[in-house]
Amino acid sequence: MDTLDARTWLTEHGDYLFRVARRQLHSDALAEDAVQDTLLAALSARERYAGDASPRTWLTAILRHKIVDAIRRQVREVDLPRDEDGDEAVDALFRADGHWAEPVRPWGNPEAEAELSQLRRALDDCADRLKPLMAQVFSLREAAGMETAEICKELGITPTNCWVLLHRARLFMRQCLELNGFAGTQA
Amino acid sequence: MKWLTTCRETTVLASRAQDGHLTLGERMAMHLHLAICANCARFARQLQAMRRLLRADVVDAVTPGLSDAARRRIENELQKKLET
Repeated sequence: MDTLDARTWLTEHGDYLFRVARRQLHSDALAEDAVQDTLLAALSARERYAGDASPRTWLTAILRHKIVDAIRRQVREVDLPRDEDGDEAVDALFRADGHWAEPVRPWGNPEAEAELSQLRRALDDCADRLKPLMAQVFSLREAAGMETAEICKELGITPTNCWVLLHRARLFMRQCLELNGFAGTQA
Repeated sequence: MKWLTTCRETTVLASRAQDGHLTLGERMAMHLHLAICANCARFARQLQAMRRLLRADVVDAVTPGLSDAARRRIENELQKKLET
């Protein structure tokens, strides 16, 4: 492989890799770094690339590791929530007796074709608005489908931290979607 | 294990159920609550719908790709690496 190939990777797969990374990391800068790290790592490892997977598959596999590395670095900079920490944003969703403060509105039929692309856009926008680590753990779990045990191990956080982050992320995501108009009148 | 959970507690269980980590008692308490609470039942269904939508979605070409500045920067880095 030579110069041409590394550039070809960037030309042909750069946008794709960026979109995958952007969706997991919820930050343009982090996603750009992950793409760069991936291509540099690919360049170093190009002798080991046997060519039995497509370049995109191979590059995406490297990217997954770079994404987890980037999130792991974030873990060190952020205070992880624990169960006993009150979170005012969560408190606001419930009354003191533990009932919902506002009724949970139905979504109608979210898989109906007409609303689908809007809903997907809204999901991405709402996830971007979560706090960084919360957004990233949420995406690793829900979009990438990693198991929580794997997420904890890779990021070096406890299962409890993971569940608290996921619970809050899911509450906020639902609320955000509802605020963005994804509440119909059907059951 | 308590059998009567509040809505707030039930959302914790419903969330953890998505990750497959409920004890038998927790699962029963959750289903008991979901059977009588429309709000929490919707919440649980919406968590599942959210996951289906996020997993079904392939990255589409509508979202922005690499910026020109980032692309140039990465190209420079690749070039630097090739020269060493």
